[in-house]
Amino acid sequence: MLAPYLIGLVGLVLFPAAVTLALAFTEYDLVNPPSWAGLANVSELVTDPVFRVALTNSLVFALVAVPLRVLLALGLALLLHRRSFGARPARVAALLPTAVPEIAYGLLWLWLFNPLYGPINQLLRVGGENGLTVLGRTPPQWLTDPTDARAAIILMSVFTMGETFVVLLAARRALPADVYEVAALEDATGWDVFRRVTLPLMAPVLALLVVRDLIASLHFSFVPALVVTDGGPPPYATTYLSLFIYRTGFEYLRYGYAAAATLVMMLLTVAAVVVQWRLFRRYRAFYRL
Amino acid sequence: MRRPKALLAALLATVLFGTGCAAGPGAAADGPVRLLVFGAPEELAAYRTLIEAYGQAQPGNEVQLIEASDRKDLLARLATSVAGGAPPDLFLMNYRFYGQFAAKNVVEPLDERIAASERVNPADYYPVAVEAFTWGGKQLCLPQNVSSLAVYYNRTLFAKYQVPEPKAGWTWNDMVGTAIAMTRDDRGVVVKGTESEGAAARPAVHGLGVEPSIIRVAPFTWSAGGEIVDDPDRPTRLTLDTQAGREALKNLVDLRQAYGVVPTDEEVEAEDDESRFANGRLAMLMSSRRSTTTFRSITGFEWDVAPLPVYQDQVGVLHSDAYCMTRGAKRKDAAWRFLEFAISAEGQQIIAATGRTVPSHIGVSQSPVFLDPSQPPRNAQVFLDTVPTLRTLPTISTWPEVEDVTAGILENALYRGDRLDEVIRALDEQTRPLFARGEHG
Repeated sequence: MLAPYLIGLVGLVLFPAAVTLALAFTEYDLVNPPSWAGLANVSELVTDPVFRVALTNSLVFALVAVPLRVLLALGLALLLHRRSFGARPARVAALLPTAVPEIAYGLLWLWLFNPLYGPINQLLRVGGENGLTVLGRTPPQWLTDPTDARAAIILMSVFTMGETFVVLLAARRALPADVYEVAALEDATGWDVFRRVTLPLMAPVLALLVVRDLIASLHFSFVPALVVTDGGPPPYATTYLSLFIYRTGFEYLRYGYAAAATLVMMLLTVAAVVVQWRLFRRYRAFYRL
Repeated sequence: MRRPKALLAALLATVLFGTGCAAGPGAAADGPVRLLVFGAPEELAAYRTLIEAYGQAQPGNEVQLIEASDRKDLLARLATSVAGGAPPDLFLMNYRFYGQFAAKNVVEPLDERIAASERVNPADYYPVAVEAFTWGGKQLCLPQNVSSLAVYYNRTLFAKYQVPEPKAGWTWNDMVGTAIAMTRDDRGVVVKGTESEGAAARPAVHGLGVEPSIIRVAPFTWSAGGEIVDDPDRPTRLTLDTQAGREALKNLVDLRQAYGVVPTDEEVEAEDDESRFANGRLAMLMSSRRSTTTFRSITGFEWDVAPLPVYQDQVGVLHSDAYCMTRGAKRKDAAWRFLEFAISAEGQQIIAATGRTVPSHIGVSQSPVFLDPSQPPRNAQVFLDTVPTLRTLPTISTWPEVEDVTAGILENALYRGDRLDEVIRALDEQTRPLFARGEHG
């Protein structure tokens, strides 16, 4: 039964990935045959200031966006898992942004973030004077200030946590009701129930989702950065590893160099997964799960 | 049960292998000629008109237009299609960006075809545009246009505020003075745009729109008697640290930082300069002929073009696109027939009538098709008068990277007011490795 999947996995993912990694040690321009370059690409990456900025941006994005996405999804799952008035439309609303095609989603946010005519800043100016907010401050410069632009990309990513939300919703609904009944009999507070019952029981799923989101975070910043901020504002405020690799490989025809950056990205992913896995094992040992 | 599953797996594997290895659609040798371009909707409409006319002139010869969303998308599509073995037969590219493909032997030399052609005579074309597409002594592409930078201006606004219109021979200081006089609030009162950020009085009209880029700095550096690179043929570094370079750069930055006549970065992000001009909120815009097709849809006011202002000498910067044939094209003869038609007098008349180009064909550029005074810009002669003064930017293979890197630095200089010495140092430091890595024609 697994054969078609395995063939697809090997032919379309693993083999191209292996070839790309091999190309990291070559000089390859997508046009002429690759030539062996040894570690030249890797050592150039070490001294490349743009790569360092892209790497830092990607790490900061992952460290901020992933917890935010998972926490928001968890909060919504805990809020909306019961049958109650308005829960169903709210669940649909939480899932909906995930269903919007990425480019359309980016263009939508480009309009939302428009510094003068966009609805977000228009709303923030309500009650203020002279184009300022009610607190007398300039509204966020989503597309022209480096920090605000990074926040904008994170904000965009937060609303696409629909898949995480659905998985957590299912996980929460699968938890045994009798555990909660026992907790209620013992007069446990809401916080106690969450900390001692819900969280430990959902921890395996949460850990899996965090790992998955962390891996995905290295590439789901690509379209927003390409469509909304174009990697800027300068210098490279929202140039993430994925955008750096795309530009280096396909716009500047340095595919070997881009492959070396991809190698670094994959090593980072593996390191992140290993660290999380070890943390998760400690957590399981602590709770004797 | 095991055998059907194994068969299914084998079938899927075959499909995967087949779809992965097959050439893309239209790659067959008997299909239409595939032409890769990018541009605004009005520009794409111009190419469709050309293709339609070609189909009527030579029935049975089909051309398929492949539309990229922008220049970067075009570069990526071209690179990946070449790598995938299914390149377009023809592509249209600016001379500033074709170097990276020329250096990698992606472009088919056209010398033999030109020599054998009855329709293409190089003497019919502006030499500056033809020479811009020679690489290693070979003619790789043939120019479609010989555009240059000009100053578009809103005549109706100038008349309303009784400010003299720009005219040939005007200086940079004249331009700054005019831009200051045209920067107005919504009551029509002259305002200083530097006070607008976060304050009450944002100008309703800005005096000038200019993109902070090396291609905008270059003509003024040249006009001031300087150079932008140390060696135009084999550049190794930018030379904006010279007196002329510094002057051109400082004056560009002052447009925002000292005079506030150009919109802020926030305003440009909210509404780009071309839209701002088309909406009547920009008095002047420094742009190439490319903007004409978009501006011809303007109905609310009159507009025209003026030559660039000068420092010492009148110098322009070439903006030329050419049709290039890929070395891996499947239908080279058919592609050449279309190319001949597209750059012939007949083909260039069709594109010129849409307003998109300053024809590279000398005869067409001097004909009423291009100079028609009933179609804006009334003073289209400006583009032709500029041709003898045009200079080219380096065609080194890493020039696209140079433009991208310098754009960010210049953007921060113009809008954030970074210190000039720091800007010049950053420009030099960050572009040296790119020049070192570049290949020359």
